[in-house]
Amino acid sequence: MIQDCMKRNVVSIPATTTLGETARLFVARHVGLLPVVDENGRPIGMIGLRDMLALALPSFINLIADVDFVHDFGAVESAQPAPEILSRPITAVMRAAITIPENCGLLRAYAMMRQHDLHDIPVVSADGRLVGIASRVDVATAFLAGWEAAKP
Amino acid sequence: MIPAAGSLVFIVSLYLVFSEKLNRTIAAAAGAAVMVGLGKLLGFYTEAAAIEAIDFNTLGLLLGMMILVALLEPTGFFQYLAVWAGRLSRGHPIRLLVLLGTVTTVLSMFLDNVTTVVLIAPVTILIGEIVGINPVPLLMAEALLSNTGGVATLVGDPPNVLIASAAGFSFNDFLVYSLPIVAVTWLVALLLLRHLFRAELSVRPTNADAVLHLNPAESLDDRVTAQRVLSVLGVAILFFFLHDRLHLSPSFIALSAAAAALVWVRPAIHETLRRVEWSVLIFFIALFVLVGGLEAAGVLHGLADLVARANGIPPVLFGILLLWIVAILSAVVDNVPITIALIPVIEGLGAAGIEIRPLWWALAFGAGFGGNGTIIGSTANIVVASLSERTRTPITSALWNRRGLPVMLATCAVTSVLYTLLFPLLSR
Repeated sequence: MIQDCMKRNVVSIPATTTLGETARLFVARHVGLLPVVDENGRPIGMIGLRDMLALALPSFINLIADVDFVHDFGAVESAQPAPEILSRPITAVMRAAITIPENCGLLRAYAMMRQHDLHDIPVVSADGRLVGIASRVDVATAFLAGWEAAKP
Repeated sequence: MIPAAGSLVFIVSLYLVFSEKLNRTIAAAAGAAVMVGLGKLLGFYTEAAAIEAIDFNTLGLLLGMMILVALLEPTGFFQYLAVWAGRLSRGHPIRLLVLLGTVTTVLSMFLDNVTTVVLIAPVTILIGEIVGINPVPLLMAEALLSNTGGVATLVGDPPNVLIASAAGFSFNDFLVYSLPIVAVTWLVALLLLRHLFRAELSVRPTNADAVLHLNPAESLDDRVTAQRVLSVLGVAILFFFLHDRLHLSPSFIALSAAAAALVWVRPAIHETLRRVEWSVLIFFIALFVLVGGLEAAGVLHGLADLVARANGIPPVLFGILLLWIVAILSAVVDNVPITIALIPVIEGLGAAGIEIRPLWWALAFGAGFGGNGTIIGSTANIVVASLSERTRTPITSALWNRRGLPVMLATCAVTSVLYTLLFPLLSR
């Protein structure tokens, strides 16, 4: 079950956090996904590194499927979001929370991550409070460990 | 009674086509069905007459060229040219404007304008972003210059195909009568764009060297297919030059070229045919049937009579008047229905003894240059505007009115002057 392989010390942020503060937290804690929680610790949304990077990525990557021929992103490399964007609250850019319960099976957890294209997934208790977070590596290696155990 | 009924069906159909409440192809197809039904009921139009009204020469030419473009599109050839132009400019904004504008124009003189812009514009946005300049002047220049350049050749844009078919103009007629005028007009448009966008174009690129690291060869996904389709296209263009001497119709040449390319490339035919714009072809067929009904109801003949009788004005002025009326209409609505509706009127004027050769050219210039006037004036404009909406610098209608409208007015004014000076030649 997911509760056996998840990390229990989850870094989460309140809804009042700004985008700039969120960026600093990503760097300081070196994590991939930050759940956004209400005052009771229930997830109301989440934000991933991908959502943060989308603020800086150039428009052309949405228009051209294959960018192999672009060897230097030039001016885009040093582009930074404007200060007024960094001061926006996290609720303006966060995505809907996708969570799994503590007793969720490993394969179901992995399938959920695949379906929603997530690298980390928040885990909640029966009363909806955030209790942990699991990465694809956590889930997949825990699952493969079961294969080892079954070996004669 | 009959002319009134025919006119009513036509006007309601056109209203629906232009109102965008209904897709234009659906509106025209429904209108065509009603026109034939009513025609049979009142005895002015038949199925046979409706089929007679369809210009298969236009359809064949469009279909043949669409298939060639459909084969060329996935090869990455358009991207390749845009990347090559970007490198050649070394990231200099004005050079980018000239080079990308020229590439788009030359391609759209022979190939479908919309496909060209759809494939060149994303690379343009890419170049603008990596170099660190606003891509809007480049995008607008591509749309405006390709609209302008398309007027130069028979296959350059759909109104030309329609006019050539109705007037019996050859590919070379366009090169002799239209190309020189368009060349001057195109240069005027380019210089005006450079002036209108002088502020944006004087910004120093923050990272001009980035274009030098683009690799054109890597952007060409399928070199073999591109070479084959381009060879066939080259031979087809050669035949276009000779078509009146060889007594071959442009549609026969285009369809033969399409067949030859299909045999040589042997693509997954479903994929290729899916890229053909069937809705455009069906729109044309429906419009032909509608206008055929209008003609059969005697409306266009009456209109031509009316114009011919009131025509006390000098022929030059009449031509210029037609050019501007068509241009203004084309700026606000699609130029294809306007052209299809005006062709029988001009033919009627010819039957009334008026010299119509210069009028055909006025129609071609007006329909072509008028599209530059507004953001919805041509499909190329709509394409660059909607692509730019997905970037950080969207092209707005207000911006187009400030930068595109002056280009339309200037090109029409310059063409009017050239038209007046060359009138004796255009009448020959």
